[in-house]
Amino acid sequence: MLKVDSVSKTFFPHTVNERRALVDVDLELKEGDFVTVIGSNGAGKSTLLNTVAGRIHQDEGVVSLDGVDVSKLKEHQRAAKVGRVFQDPMAGTAPNLSIEENLSLADRRGRPRGLSRGVTKAKRERFAEALKQLELGLEGRLKTKVGLLSGGQRQALSLLMATYSDPRVLLLDEHTAALDPQRAELVTRLTRSVVQDKGLTTLMVTHNMVQALEVGNRLIMMHEGRIILDVGAEKKAQMTSQDLLAEFGKLKGAVVDDKTLLQ
Amino acid sequence: MITAFELGLIYAIMALGVYLTFRILNFPDLTVDGSFTSGAATAAILITHEVDPFLATAVAFVVGSVAGLITGLLHTKGNINGLLAGILTMIGLYSINLRIMDGANVPLLGQDTVISMMRGFTGVGWTSVAVLAVVALLFKLVMDWYLQTDNGLALRATGDNEQMISSFAVSTDRQKIIGLMLSNGLVGIAGAVVAQHQGFADIGMGIGLILVGLASVIVGQAIFGSRTVIQATLAVILGAVVYRLAIQFALNIGLNPNDMKLMSAVLVVAALLLPQWKGFSKLSLRRKSRSPLAAAAEPATTEDAPLSTTSAEKGV
Repeated sequence: MLKVDSVSKTFFPHTVNERRALVDVDLELKEGDFVTVIGSNGAGKSTLLNTVAGRIHQDEGVVSLDGVDVSKLKEHQRAAKVGRVFQDPMAGTAPNLSIEENLSLADRRGRPRGLSRGVTKAKRERFAEALKQLELGLEGRLKTKVGLLSGGQRQALSLLMATYSDPRVLLLDEHTAALDPQRAELVTRLTRSVVQDKGLTTLMVTHNMVQALEVGNRLIMMHEGRIILDVGAEKKAQMTSQDLLAEFGKLKGAVVDDKTLLQ
Repeated sequence: MITAFELGLIYAIMALGVYLTFRILNFPDLTVDGSFTSGAATAAILITHEVDPFLATAVAFVVGSVAGLITGLLHTKGNINGLLAGILTMIGLYSINLRIMDGANVPLLGQDTVISMMRGFTGVGWTSVAVLAVVALLFKLVMDWYLQTDNGLALRATGDNEQMISSFAVSTDRQKIIGLMLSNGLVGIAGAVVAQHQGFADIGMGIGLILVGLASVIVGQAIFGSRTVIQATLAVILGAVVYRLAIQFALNIGLNPNDMKLMSAVLVVAALLLPQWKGFSKLSLRRKSRSPLAAAAEPATTEDAPLSTTSAEKGV
């Protein structure tokens, strides 16, 4: 349903800083696939996500969604079908709008935004119901500005908003990396349950090998713009982070950063 | 005094427009210097050609929004810096305004205008101030309503977090253009009414207008707060009136009208610097803590959000 077909992207071409972020990448996600993406810094993980989201446009190749070529569509056009949670907890919500206004914006994804009232009584009840799943007590603070929430709360809300209107594809860009372990745990748990409940097709970039193995039904490893390892559900269930480190070790020139090693 | 109130309430419509771009869209739009005069010129020339003054004022809205559209297209489709896009439109409009008026000014002596028609009922006095206050409040209510709609929310989010709102399938380009058009439309209306109030349209009447708008928005929100949209728009209107009263006061103590631009600039600088002074922040903190909303937010923010204080202050 999501298909990335021989996609390449080079930054700063023909200069000394030339960097090949994606090299002829092929990837196909089936309906309901939950794929985790790992790789060292500069492996092209984020570029892959940004290419799917339409924030970055590839030099060559085709990105298609539900069999439709979306390569030429802009980010906001693709966003009708693609939900996203960013690494920065501040990035996924509008700080000066209240929780209910933020949810109302998420609720209208892919539909025209006209002059009907953004937050109605019926919607408010629906939003409160959805917020209960987060177990953060936000359902009682619908009128609070999102800027007053903590990073963990904002990221949990971002996740709820990104998945609220059932996007066809969910992109998670190291969305737990900026949180403390406790909050990261919470957001990971929420991610699993929402992806499972809604059967969302998901692509999740992570630095955390344990997380990459625990979550999802498929794992890919990237290095220097290529997918070098693609593990299905069964094999993935038996793998340990030691095995993954060994895979990293095989790579010439791969630098595993300290953060990854410590996890 | 009456005139100061009347002018303040008319300029309040312009200030609402500036609020829409400057505060909501976070876009310092200098187009207003030109679109204000365009609105005035259009209405004046139509009125001298026997067009109904209300219709003429409505056309001023359209002309203003076209000016906003041009700035919006230059900025979004042409990737021109927002400030520069506004300046380009403003400068271009100077020539266009001369063309519209076929000269540097258009007198409206003896013509029926929206103001002369109002005076027919109210005369000059507090009744006319009340009528203009009702009109300004109507504009405020329409804006409050709009900013609560789906489209209005998308506009506010565009000014607040562009990355976020484009990930929810909103074209930020489109929202910016809508905001600039509405804003300059309101400025055009204000220009039209000011021309009818003073009895002429003049090529220089828009010069420095952006400062008047900013002064109204900043002074108003510093004094009356901006916690919610409803409060913020009211503050903008009151700010416009306070600004006019300050000008009136300055004239009364002997400054002459040529000093007014300097006055405006000093007022804006003061409104921007005062809140940074410690004594002032103590004063405004006391006011904030009285608000029930702040009290409600308090326990949660102290509990687990060291980041929230900075963003909360930014929001206020």
